[in-house]
Formats: sequence, structure tokens, C-alpha cells
Amino acid sequence: MMAVGVSVPRVDGPAKVSGTAQYTADIELPGLLYARVLRSPYPHARVLRVDSSRAEHLPGVVALTRDDLHDVHPYYGSLYRDQPIVAVDKVRHVGDVVAAVAAEERDVAEEALDLIEVDYEPLPAVFDPLEAMRPDAPLVHESPPDPASHFHAPGGFRYQGGNVLTVFHVAQGDVAAGFRDADEVFDDTYTCPVIQHGHIEPHAAIAYWEASGKLVIYTASQNPSVVRDQLAEMFHLPAALVRLVVPFVGGGYGAKVHPRLEPLVACLARKAARPVQLVLTREEVFYTAVRHAAVVKIRTGVKRDGTLVARTVETVYDKGAYASTGPFTTKNGGTVSGGPYRIPHQDLTAYCVYTNKPPACPFRGFGVPQVSWAYEQQMDVIARRLGLDPVELRLKNLLREGDAFVTDEPVSSFGLDRCVEQVAAAIGWDGPRAIPTAVPAVVRGKGVACAMKTTMTPSNSAASVQLHADGSAVLLTSSVEIGQGARTSLAQVVAEVLGIPVEWVVVSAPDTDVTPYDQSTNSSRTAFSMGHAAQQAAGQIRARLLELAARSLEARPDDLDLADGAAYVRGAPEQRRTIRQLFQEHFGLPVGNLFGSYDFQTSGGVDPVTGKGKSSAFFFLAACAAEVEVDTETGKVRVVNIATAVDAGKALNPRQCDLQNEGSMLMGLGSALFEELVFDNGQPVNGTFLDYMLPSMEDYPRQFRSLLVETPHPDGPFGAKGMGESAITAVAPAIANAVANALGGARVADMPIRPDRVLDAIRRHQESQA
Amino acid sequence: MRKTIRATINGQARDLAVKPNQTLLDLLRDDLRLRGTVEGCSVGVCGSCTVLLDGEPVSSCLVLASNAEHRQVTTIEGLAQKGELSRVQKAFLEHQAFQCGYCTRGMIMAVEGLLREYAAPTEDEIRDYLSGNICRCGTYAEVLAAVQSVIRSTRESPVS
Repeated sequence: MMAVGVSVPRVDGPAKVSGTAQYTADIELPGLLYARVLRSPYPHARVLRVDSSRAEHLPGVVALTRDDLHDVHPYYGSLYRDQPIVAVDKVRHVGDVVAAVAAEERDVAEEALDLIEVDYEPLPAVFDPLEAMRPDAPLVHESPPDPASHFHAPGGFRYQGGNVLTVFHVAQGDVAAGFRDADEVFDDTYTCPVIQHGHIEPHAAIAYWEASGKLVIYTASQNPSVVRDQLAEMFHLPAALVRLVVPFVGGGYGAKVHPRLEPLVACLARKAARPVQLVLTREEVFYTAVRHAAVVKIRTGVKRDGTLVARTVETVYDKGAYASTGPFTTKNGGTVSGGPYRIPHQDLTAYCVYTNKPPACPFRGFGVPQVSWAYEQQMDVIARRLGLDPVELRLKNLLREGDAFVTDEPVSSFGLDRCVEQVAAAIGWDGPRAIPTAVPAVVRGKGVACAMKTTMTPSNSAASVQLHADGSAVLLTSSVEIGQGARTSLAQVVAEVLGIPVEWVVVSAPDTDVTPYDQSTNSSRTAFSMGHAAQQAAGQIRARLLELAARSLEARPDDLDLADGAAYVRGAPEQRRTIRQLFQEHFGLPVGNLFGSYDFQTSGGVDPVTGKGKSSAFFFLAACAAEVEVDTETGKVRVVNIATAVDAGKALNPRQCDLQNEGSMLMGLGSALFEELVFDNGQPVNGTFLDYMLPSMEDYPRQFRSLLVETPHPDGPFGAKGMGESAITAVAPAIANAVANALGGARVADMPIRPDRVLDAIRRHQESQA
Repeated sequence: MRKTIRATINGQARDLAVKPNQTLLDLLRDDLRLRGTVEGCSVGVCGSCTVLLDGEPVSSCLVLASNAEHRQVTTIEGLAQKGELSRVQKAFLEHQAFQCGYCTRGMIMAVEGLLREYAAPTEDEIRDYLSGNICRCGTYAEVLAAVQSVIRSTRESPVS
């Protein structure tokens, strides 16, 4: 292969290093107004009065309150329409949107906010998802949420009621019998806090209305097609009268999936009859999207030889105030909460529970890092109690190609055993022992973990390719370049199919007026789904070119191939026709286009009651091995060596895969050791970058290895599947296991592994040994 | 309300009418339309708004525009000379030291500052110096490699 599997330079490199790459906030439109948002100081309150009249007396100020929502659908949401554009009857978390203003100057907008009068009646609030599940807990939403008219993400979950929005359940075998059969039973609880995506580009959007009644939005969105459809519903417009354009996006990691600012700016722009820009401050970003906190109760029965026989897992995800895609996250995490293991008897339940906190949204790993944090730590607890090697214990129980998963579907493209073996070798795995250092108080330890994840299934991606007479091509796609290298890898796929240099392929930015539907740039589905669509769309053009060349060269299409912008006879490359010659012969002039388009729909989905079915079009697989240094006097943990291995199916661009692996590793490391959004009575107390720590270059381990395993997937382009979210699922538990091994089994079950928790774990461990 | 200051922006002397509370970042983005410098955190810790002030990297979100008076401001737009990228920019391209690209401009400016301050920084010095530039995509190894390649090539063929 010429273009695929090669680490070609990124097509967006020159724009990004020169500083000319345009992000949403950089776009300038004549008459642009700047918006600001009034937010709730209460975690839960009834909104008695909102009066914006004084604000609107300021010159050029437009205000948006609940009184402006009479002719739109005031609530939005991809699964349940429970989130108001601005507060209607209640506010449900600190930072919830109460009203908004737009003005010609930013400081005037700021001044206008202060003039909006709001009367609240504070209500009892609930912050802990376990408390929220109690029958006497305050209700975040009094009435059942309104299901979206058509789900904008696949289902597979059941509505429950009260603060428990949805539940996911799947089981196999006879768990009671399984536990009776076990020699040892392990009961543990693990928790994960709220963390935040930390995309450096804050959420941003610009909206205006054309005179024809068409809505145009520039936005930093990960799924413009879906947001387009939801805005059309909201404003009772045909989808074609809503246009979303997505410039470069400065990171998202899930936070920019589904509507965020778009409904609000669209309403403001409509009222102002001018373009309106909204760019959030960093503090506001922390109110807008976070990762689900979770409590995971896990019970596992094992044979003395380490064979897993039974497992029950109950996961409670902290949804925050609005549904977003929480029910789907819950399903996604719940499905794999038993881990990537052969366990004959399993019972897995996951709850999605409303609380009065900022809405939890998709986050790299989509519910899986929370459950792998639990089951992979417990695997090491089991190994230690039974005196088994943790790597051997995993390899003994891992699912293998063709095995039935808990959903009853066979697993495929399943190279997880190789991932585990490779990471263990990469750090010189030599058992779960404490390794002394020159400093008596400092010990080292190594740990491993592995995990699997499912991708959004079913889902839809369409692509369209135009080939020009000179052999260059344009791929029209709604996939978003969010840093992952989508434009480069998709260009590689098209170039490979058409036998043209990668530099001859241009991949469009999403513009829903011209780029076809794509479900989402999330779930690491772009390489797989859009890659497949692009491969097939280009394949149609390839077939036409070979047909034209066959006629011209008096050969059979099967004997021809494409390379360097020409068709040639295999084995006789001097017999060739350039693409231009073929256009000349076909159209009579060397002009025109050949077109190809393809709509790729993955099939499957799980039953909402039984949880059985095809959970995933492909499986993400990852392993991580880490060596850490623990200071037993201060509790400080440092990762000195780390390796992650993921099964990429086929690495379209190996260097790009390494970068994704690296980013996933570092995000996992941050969550393992220090990231945590702390709340006081529902108010985030560290919601700025001064206080919320993101991994810096100083946190980057001295040694890191990214390992790519390739078990080709039959539906992926050239065998490729998604891998950007894989490593994060295995990193935090690997670090936790390394810490526990350094400390002779003392374990921190609550994420993150803060120094105080390490010291506490050491103390408790010493007491239990005494 | 506005006060006129003289400052050199990317090598060009400019008379600029600045507001008393205006940050250098807002001056660059709103008034000079230099949108390559971007805001990340507004409290001077993420580094995405880094520019050079008299050759030293600063967070332009924390510097008042009026403080640029009689000083040289260099932004990402001012690095390329006659259309040719700076050696740091080239190294970032070569080592693919970026992903989403949002922090990249500030990171490049910080590296420009680093290499003005240190002739041959050690890895520890590089890590320490750049720890105020956050890349959430996690592209630090590539940034490190890019910086080290510039140091190596400078040692082999020093530029004036």
C-alpha cells in the first residue's frame, strides 16, 4: 500500500504551526454581537421571576429569557429533551443557564447581565447519586422527561423514573449457582469523581438568520449533522434550512458532542436579527460538560486456580442535572462492566441518576474508565489473595477471538491477549512486588490492566468523493478535525483507493449544506465508519476509472491497477492512461468530475430489556503497564515508565495512532493521580485552570511506549478500527495496581490516587496486617 | 477613554489606541485582528495566549495592552520571515508536535522564548520551562523532540 499504513505528514500541519488555522471564535461577521450568559447561583431553585427590561434599556442590548421561547421547543436533548434553552421553571445546578444577553461590546453585555432581575425560591438539592436514588430524595425533574422525537443516539436502555433516569441490565448464566461454585468471593467498591474534559478551546458558536428564514451556525461541534437535526426540530424548520459549519476544533474529547451553545445563540440571533457570537469563559466550561462520577460495586467468585466463575456489578453513574447522552454512556459502561473476560455467570446493572450538578456528557472512554477502574483493580486483589501473577490471571481468563460476550455476540478482531503481553514485556514485568530504591521511604511497583469498550452501534456515516480531471480529489465529509488527524487519515484512504498522492486529496470541513450526514465525530468511529464510507465512495470512482481504462487499453478491468494518477496494466506499467486522458476520452474534453458516494450504516444494537444483541460494530481493546514510584512519607506518586497497547485493526497512519495513544495515556494519568472537580454544596470550588490541574510536560513520564497491535477488522477500511479512546480505559487501573504492588497490597479504591489517600491506604494496610 | 501608545508589533511600529482595562490579548485579537493568539483560561496558566514581549514569553491575557508601550510584541504571525516558517515552526511540523492545534501557537511562542533564554537547555530545563503550556491532546513527547531537534541543528549550524 502506498498511502495507507504510512505516517504521512498531517494535512493540517501548515495551518496549525503558522497560526492561520481558524477556530470558531476567530470568525468575523459584519454586525456581530457578543453574548454573555446569566447563570444560576443555586444548585436547585424555582425561578419565580425573570425581568430583563432594565438590561434591554442599555443601547443595543438584546436579552433572552423564558418569555422568548413561546414559538420554539424550549427543551433540547439527544435522548431526552429535558434541558431548557434558558431556565423555564427551575434551575437544576449551579451555573445553569437563566438568561442571556447580546451586545455590540463585550463589556456592555457584561453590564447588562447585572441588570437582569431574578427571584429564586431555593429548593432542597441532592448531589450524591446514591442519595438521589432514595425514595425521599428531592426530585431533579418532577415529571418524566420528554423522549427525543427520534433518538439521536442508539438506545438499549430503559426509563426508570424518579431521579433514576435509565437503567441498563444484562446477564448470563446463573449467578447464584456461580457464586456457590466459587472457592473465593471478592466484594469491593470503587469510585470515580467528576472530572472535566479540559479542551483548551472553550465552547464557541456563532449564529445568524438569513432573510430567507434559514439558520446558519458556525460552531465548535463534534457532530454537526445531529445538532442540525435537533435545531430544525426546535425551530420547526426543515433540516435543509439549518446550516452548520464547523471550523477547526480545539479539542473536545466528548464535551462538544450534541448541542451545547447552539440553541441559545440561535435564539439570541433571531431576536437580535444580527449575528451573535458566544464564547464561554473557562469557568463556564466547567458548568457545561463534565465526566460522569461513578460508584461501582463489584462482587466476583473465583476458583482457587484463578478461573472467574461469577460476577455481579452495580454501577451508578452521576448524571448531573440533564440527560445529555447519559443513558447511552450508562449502557456503554454497563455492557462491559464485567470486563473482557470469559465469566459464565454474570449480572451487570448500571443506573443513570440525576443530581443537582453540571450535566455529565460524553467523555473519552464513554463510561468505561469508571468500570475498568473497578474490575481491573479487583483482578489484582484476586491475584494477590490467590498468589497468582496478575498478567497470568488476565491471560487465563481473557475473551478470545470468537468467544461469546455477555451480550451473546461473538467477539472479533480481538487481539487483547497480544496487547497484554506486549505492555508487560515493554516495562519488563517481573511480578507484583515492591521494588526498593536508594531512598528508603521511596518504593517502586509495576502494574498492568486491560479493558474493552464498545462503539456507538448502530450508526450512520456518509461520504462523497469528487475526482477532478487532473487526478486531484475532494472528499466531502461531516467528520470533524478535532486534533485526531481525521482529515489526514481520510485523505490517505481516498488516495490509496484512487492511486493518487495524499497531497492531491482535499478533505472538506463539515458544512451541512454540502457535506453528507455523519452521526458523530465521537466513539472513535471516524476511521472505521467514515473511513469505510470514504473507501466505498472512492471505490465507485475507481471502478469507473478501471472500466474506462480497460476500454481504452483493451484490457480487462481486473488486470488493471491505479497508481500515480494513472491506470496501468499490472505487469506492463508502460501500458497506461492518466486520469486526464481517461477524462478526455470519456467526456471529449479533459474536464468534468467523476463522483462517488456511499452511505455506511452499521447494524446492531442491544435489546433494552435483556441487554442482548450486537453491542458494537467493533471492539476497542487496550492494555497498559506502568511502573510507579511512591513516596511513603508524602504519599506522592510518580509514573516513571508506562506503556499502552491498543488493537488498531490496521493503523492507517501509525504516527497519528501513537499520538492518540499518547493523549489517551496522559488523560488517563491525570485522572488517576490528580484530576477531580470538587464541589461545595453543588458549587465547583476548583473550576478554573488555576485550581483544576491538567497534566503538564512535567507530569509526562520519562519513558512512554505506544504499541500498536493490528488484528484487521473485516468492516474497517483496510482493516482499521477506532483506537483514540482505547488506552484511557486501561491507564488509571494500571497505575493503581502499580501503586498497590509498590505498597505490598495497600490500595486506593477512590480515584484519584491523591497523596492523602495513599498515606491513608498505607495506614489501613498496616493496621490490617498487625 | 482610550490612550494612544506606540508599540512594535511583529516588527512594525504602530500607534495604538488602547483602553485602560484592555488586555494585550484583546488588543491583538480584536483591534489588530491577529487571531493566531488564542484564549484558553484567562488566568495565565494554560499558556495558549503566549506571545513574546521584548523576546520574553508572557501570557497576553494577563498583560495590559498599555504595558506594551515602547516594547516589541511578537506573535505567531510574526515568526515566519518572507513566507518561510521559523526553525521552531518547522521542527513542530517535522515532529508533528500538535494535534488539535489550539495550544500550538502558544507552545511555539514559549519555545521561541526558551531558545532565546537558553542556548542548549537540558530536558529538565525544557520540561520546567514549558510546564506552563498545557496541551490537553498530550503531545508533549513530540514537542520535546521538536525542541531538542532545534537545539541539535543549531549546534551543528548556528544561526546568527
